[in-house]
Amino acid sequence: MNRSEARAPDAALLVLHALRCAGAVGVARLGAITGLDESAAESELIDLGVDGLVTRLSGAPPVWCLTDAGRAADAERIAGELEAAGARARVAAAYERFMVLNPELLDLCTAWQLRSVDGVTTVNDHGDPAHDSRVLARFADLDGRAAEVGAELSAVLPRFGRYRLRLADALERAAAGESAYLADHTASYHVVWAELHEDLLATLGLARW
Amino acid sequence: MTRWVRALSARTGGTAETLGGKAAGLVVLHRLGLPVPAGFVVTTEGCRAFRRDGRLPAGLDGELATAVADLERATGRTFGGPRRPLAVSVRSGAAAAMPGMLSTVLNLGLTTGATEGLAAETGDRAFALDARRGFLRGFAAASAAAGAAAGASAGAVAVPEDAGGQLRRAVEAVFSSWDAPRAHTYRELNGIPHDLGTAVIVQRMVFGNRDGDSGSGVAFSRDPGTGEHTPFGEVLFGRQGEEVVSGRATTRPLRELAGRQPRVWAGLLDALHRIEQHHRDACYVEFTFESGELWFLQVRPGRFTGAAAIRVATELADQRLIGRDEALLRISPVHLRQARVPRIAAGEADVLARGTGACPGVATGRIATTADGAVRAARSGPVVLVRPETSPDDLRGLAAATGIVTARGGPASHAAVVARAMGKPAAVGVAGLAVDGAAVTAGGRTLPEGTLVTVDGSSGEVVLGHARTVTGADDEHVRRLLAWADDASGDHSARAGAHRLAAAHAALRDR
Repeated sequence: MNRSEARAPDAALLVLHALRCAGAVGVARLGAITGLDESAAESELIDLGVDGLVTRLSGAPPVWCLTDAGRAADAERIAGELEAAGARARVAAAYERFMVLNPELLDLCTAWQLRSVDGVTTVNDHGDPAHDSRVLARFADLDGRAAEVGAELSAVLPRFGRYRLRLADALERAAAGESAYLADHTASYHVVWAELHEDLLATLGLARW
Repeated sequence: MTRWVRALSARTGGTAETLGGKAAGLVVLHRLGLPVPAGFVVTTEGCRAFRRDGRLPAGLDGELATAVADLERATGRTFGGPRRPLAVSVRSGAAAAMPGMLSTVLNLGLTTGATEGLAAETGDRAFALDARRGFLRGFAAASAAAGAAAGASAGAVAVPEDAGGQLRRAVEAVFSSWDAPRAHTYRELNGIPHDLGTAVIVQRMVFGNRDGDSGSGVAFSRDPGTGEHTPFGEVLFGRQGEEVVSGRATTRPLRELAGRQPRVWAGLLDALHRIEQHHRDACYVEFTFESGELWFLQVRPGRFTGAAAIRVATELADQRLIGRDEALLRISPVHLRQARVPRIAAGEADVLARGTGACPGVATGRIATTADGAVRAARSGPVVLVRPETSPDDLRGLAAATGIVTARGGPASHAAVVARAMGKPAAVGVAGLAVDGAAVTAGGRTLPEGTLVTVDGSSGEVVLGHARTVTGADDEHVRRLLAWADDASGDHSARAGAHRLAAAHAALRDR
């Protein structure tokens, strides 16, 4: 076995874990989450389906989700990955820092959706460029601090690097005028952030409540 | 007069700019003769000096010692002492409200010796240890937040064993929390100047967890969902107020106080009435009752929205607390627009539980308690997804549902953000609601999956079955207010409500 093979990410685990953190998703979103091309993602899904770990739900488009066995298998493999990398303490420290940022991110999403007019909170119709640019500026500031946490995570578990790319992409699109990419789209900053939150809980084996 | 510290009483001078809004409110409560725990305030000038110099101002130590000595005399207690120990709360309070953004430390002064003293005094060791744990938790959180704001890395927090040292560190922590990134963001988003600084309010602790006749709560003088002139809020029996915010305890509807603590209830009603007469507006208070004795910790205006704001303004005018002109000026076109959103007709529905409205509108559907269940059930009819709180795993269910209810979380929770993104009526943080497998319990009733419920995303109400809805156009209070608007402008022609209100505002401002 050569070195590059030894360090290649385990594509099956990436797909399994993406369903754990993002819920039921179609092949296109799975590709965006894992960085695998769609045909590679689909072939992993089929193998995992044969093993009884994932199941396909009909719909337009069809989506895939974990079975109970898949959820258990993911928990075991992700815990194994964490222990093998000796990363628990550093991931736990990063999770604490993430949880300091989390309420601020939710404040910012709320400020993007709602704003104060005549002292009354109302839906943000994006008719006040000054308000929107204030929110975006603070989003960018928070993103810089989130990137530091992301760098700590991907230094010990490289799969966390996908979140940085996806968060940066969402912010870039929003700054370019696609306002839904902060809090109102399936690839929005808020959605990717919530998946990262779920991933940290799953990786450390913590319950949300 | 001292430079940085002022005792809180009916005679305390100074504006909200110096004292902070919370302390200024406490002075008003004192002046109304309402019970407020004895205490003092470190002014916002102290915070500005701290932020400028990077340390507490010279002379503050001495002023704190004097203020504490006065507090010991007023309460007959000893700060950090083993006999009749004095414990204090240390809270933030800026000129502009920044709810939940700045640090708070409760039960401060409970050194190990003082904790033993409290146990001996009350004969309740479990209570004393619970109070000590609450202090350690709050002190650690405030110290960690202060360290993060200063850019220091997290580490173990040493808790001083002398009460004076604890107080000094807590004041520093509250001042430092002004510069926490989240607080900075909040000020940017709400147009609050960064150089205001916060005051620090230090008061004798009153313990909501003292005994079976103790508790804490929040109350509005009028119902914030409808504007109806009836007190509304939540109460937590046997606990301190902070446990509501942290979600560690479940609150009960305020009206349960009437049966369980009639004297506290009577005191609360009297206070809400007196505060309304003073402010000539709906109000909100935070209170604690300790061994049956009621204390007020905070007061502020009610700040209602939509139809509720309109009802309050018209009824205050009916009570002659304000004039009709003033009622008109208090209502903005935004309130009128919000009032057009459908809501559940008041007084007819069988209300199961109530939380915070997160996305206005009304949705009726059958209960589903899982994302999968919601997707399946949505094939045969509308679904209301009821969850403890939501995570990415619920997105499919959120997308399939017509309405959303969560037991936990506030207006900025994951569920609230997603509900608004999808434009679906949602109630979050619904107290007293629990998801138990495939059933929901609320208000003492068990509702299996498939039960028809209606959710109102303005008032946060969840009601049984299908509920009739109304909009602002049907609303008696809206009609009356707009009739007053026409009287003010002198124009009685048929026009949209917003035009009628704008014409009245223009006429009134020209007078």
